[in-house]
Amino acid sequence: MSTSAMNWNKTLSYLRRYWVLYAMLILPIAFFITFRYIPMHYIQIAFKEYSIVQSPWEMKWADNNGFEYFIQAFSNRDFIYALRNTLMLNFLDLIFGFPAPIILALILNELVFKRFKRFTQTVVYLPHFLSWVIISGMALQLLAPTNGLINILLNRMGFDSIPFLNDPVYWVGTYVVLGIWQSVGWNTIIYLAAITGINPELYEAASVDGAGRFRKIWHVTLPGLRPTIIVLLILSLGQILSSEFDRPYALSNKLVTDVSNVISIFVYNYGIRGLQFSLSTAVGLFQSVVCVIFLFAANALAKRFGERGIW
Amino acid sequence: MRSRRIVMSILTFVLASVLVLAGCSKNNSGSSNATNSTPNTGNSGSEGSSGNSGGSSDSKLEKWGLDENLRFKETRKITVEIYDRGNDGGTPPEDNFYTDYIKEGMLRDHNVEVEFVPVPRWTEGEVINNLLAANQAPDISVTYSYPTIQTYANMGGVLDLAPYLEEAKDILPDLWDLLTDTNIYWDQDPKTGTIWALEARLAVLNRINTFVREDWLKKLNMEAPTNLEEFENMLKAFRDNASLLLGDQADKMIPFAISFDVGWRADHLTTSFVPDDITDKDLFVYGFDDRKFLLPNYKEAIRVLNKWYHEGLIWKDFSLYPAGDPTEDNLMKAGYVGAFIHNWDYPYRNGEDSIHASLQRMVGPDAAFVAIETFPNDAGVYRKFLSPPIDRKIFFPATNKEPIASLLYLNWISKFENRFFLQFGEEGVTHEKMPDGSYKALAATGEKIMNSPNNIDYTITVNGLDLGDPDLTVKSIANGYAGVDKRYIEIAYQASINEGRVGKNVNVGEIKAENGVGQALKEKRDTVLNKAIVAPVSDFDKVYDSGFEDYLRSGGQAIIDERKAKWEEFYGDKTMLD
Repeated sequence: MSTSAMNWNKTLSYLRRYWVLYAMLILPIAFFITFRYIPMHYIQIAFKEYSIVQSPWEMKWADNNGFEYFIQAFSNRDFIYALRNTLMLNFLDLIFGFPAPIILALILNELVFKRFKRFTQTVVYLPHFLSWVIISGMALQLLAPTNGLINILLNRMGFDSIPFLNDPVYWVGTYVVLGIWQSVGWNTIIYLAAITGINPELYEAASVDGAGRFRKIWHVTLPGLRPTIIVLLILSLGQILSSEFDRPYALSNKLVTDVSNVISIFVYNYGIRGLQFSLSTAVGLFQSVVCVIFLFAANALAKRFGERGIW
Repeated sequence: MRSRRIVMSILTFVLASVLVLAGCSKNNSGSSNATNSTPNTGNSGSEGSSGNSGGSSDSKLEKWGLDENLRFKETRKITVEIYDRGNDGGTPPEDNFYTDYIKEGMLRDHNVEVEFVPVPRWTEGEVINNLLAANQAPDISVTYSYPTIQTYANMGGVLDLAPYLEEAKDILPDLWDLLTDTNIYWDQDPKTGTIWALEARLAVLNRINTFVREDWLKKLNMEAPTNLEEFENMLKAFRDNASLLLGDQADKMIPFAISFDVGWRADHLTTSFVPDDITDKDLFVYGFDDRKFLLPNYKEAIRVLNKWYHEGLIWKDFSLYPAGDPTEDNLMKAGYVGAFIHNWDYPYRNGEDSIHASLQRMVGPDAAFVAIETFPNDAGVYRKFLSPPIDRKIFFPATNKEPIASLLYLNWISKFENRFFLQFGEEGVTHEKMPDGSYKALAATGEKIMNSPNNIDYTITVNGLDLGDPDLTVKSIANGYAGVDKRYIEIAYQASINEGRVGKNVNVGEIKAENGVGQALKEKRDTVLNKAIVAPVSDFDKVYDSGFEDYLRSGGQAIIDERKAKWEEFYGDKTMLD
């Protein structure tokens, strides 16, 4: 009795002291509730027959206990292909795109001339601000088989044109490389920040022990970066089934649809342009659920290996 | 310390209440708008009837809040969709000389305030779709996609026009004159009688032409080809004489240009492979694809393109550029392209910026594309499938609170003097009268520039010129291409409608299988055609057939079956319409 009263008093005095902080939290929380959680009741659309004039609560349940649209999606071969392509492109992005900024950060960190380092850093992260529509326009100017600058150059040197954009295999390569080109500089920033946080005494100790440049990178810088790398890896594994729209859509053309049709494009063609909102919501929900599962699994795995994880 | 805390708490409160208020006030403004737009019934004192309208129409006018001159007693407000073509040197499509003309006219004649909502022309389907989904579609909406309207109608998102048309017919004489029963009832459901959309009238049924470089033919001493073989030989001659025709830019030579939209850009060729005796029934059952992809023998036409592609006769990059990309036009303008199939007047459109004008500037005064008829079908006829006399579909979303004002708008815009002004503008500024009585549009710059030829984007109930007299109309159409020799237009006009087969209205109501798959099927069609053209010759059959099969399995077959069943339900054994 008395202990609980004491606790209560403690809580009260705590609140009296800090209520302003909590009051200030009202704004962001209100924002999230209004714009993130309330709209979520539209998730029901995935299980109901969509009607533009009814609220989601009034809409009729879809057939098959509401799972009609999930069944439709999974019996649609285009969806299966889209799923496969999404996984494939995201995995390639992970394999090639994930290490790239780490390597770049290590290289930049070793640069002796600070001015040159800063200049390079700025140059490599500027593409981040270009939209994919612009990048795809540039890609066409550079890579088209007969009018593209690079292919014209190759032709002049006596080589054949390389079908960067019109052959499915090459297209995947172009897609991944352009992705790295666009994002590598930006993603480097966080690693560079982490590197500055590494205790310089460690480097000095390593030098005293006779370590060279590469030894220092291997034994000091990389271990120092490990927590950051793990967190970012978990986060990107959580994105494994998420699907960008503008990048594959802008870069795609009719000859490479076998590899470029990802889930977001499927949703766009069938759901938005085909006006099947229930179907697209079902697909979106499926994607989110898988992403959440991946996120939790990756986090659990990281913890098992003795890392801190993200929560 | 204490005062700082007070200040902070006040700040927090203010911020929080602002947020709450913002939410409320949005609701408030919404509801006050709604009350504004409900018709005012208090004002009842209409005097005297005007001549021909009887007692019952008086009470109708009363109900709608109109006086005897068809002016609303209280100012009404409607929003109208307008295509935005984003053209160079154009004016804002929602606010310019011509919108002012409409706004002033509607306010003067009907006391209706008009606001225009620009929608990008080349993505109009997607955009109107989004607007509808967000309940923000303009009161008078326009689209080329009837399935979009049908889908929203099924969800209750579109007004049924039938009762309004029925009731208001006598105050809409100009609309009726222009569209006639044919177009007004075109989309009426044969069973339920609903009308979700009015079909605007397509005054010019011409669709497509095949063009070749006239000056190249002359340089090579060739006659214009008259069949497929001669056409192919001509393309080869272009290819083989590239250095003669293009000099040091010979490597830029493109004998035949197409785009990713193969169906459109090979139309005359594909049509020539379709048997001449194809029935109306087959055209209906298999002709739902807007590029006629399912008609018999289509594949053989694509095989020809496949062969040409590998013989270096077709532009290699054709499939890479998206719709609206100017790259291909620029190649034509620069004079690298020998032949192509496109809209019947494509090279002559857009005045100073046209392919024709650019060609003459950049290559020389002889350089020009001329229309030819070169693909006879199995009966030796230069057949063309012409459009049915319908164009854009005009519909009112369910959010339209002013159906009568909106119908009056359509009537106003259909009235001859109004649409004539929109199509030709002011005499001496945007048009002049020719000695033969025809009208000639003058290219205007600045505020009186027309963003679309003859302002077709504003005359939403009609696409193309209709001056009442057909002869005068054709002459005026030919006048309409500034800086282009009249001869080219007349040749193109004739070539594109000669031996034409006009589309007919097969009104069997909604085809349910078409819902939701239209875009996906179009994507598939384009994919098949693009892949088949670039496939190695030996793989052509495999690529085409597997793509075709995929198309059928993804919904194409279901549509065919339903169309067949519907035809048989309404027309029985008949295979031809009257």
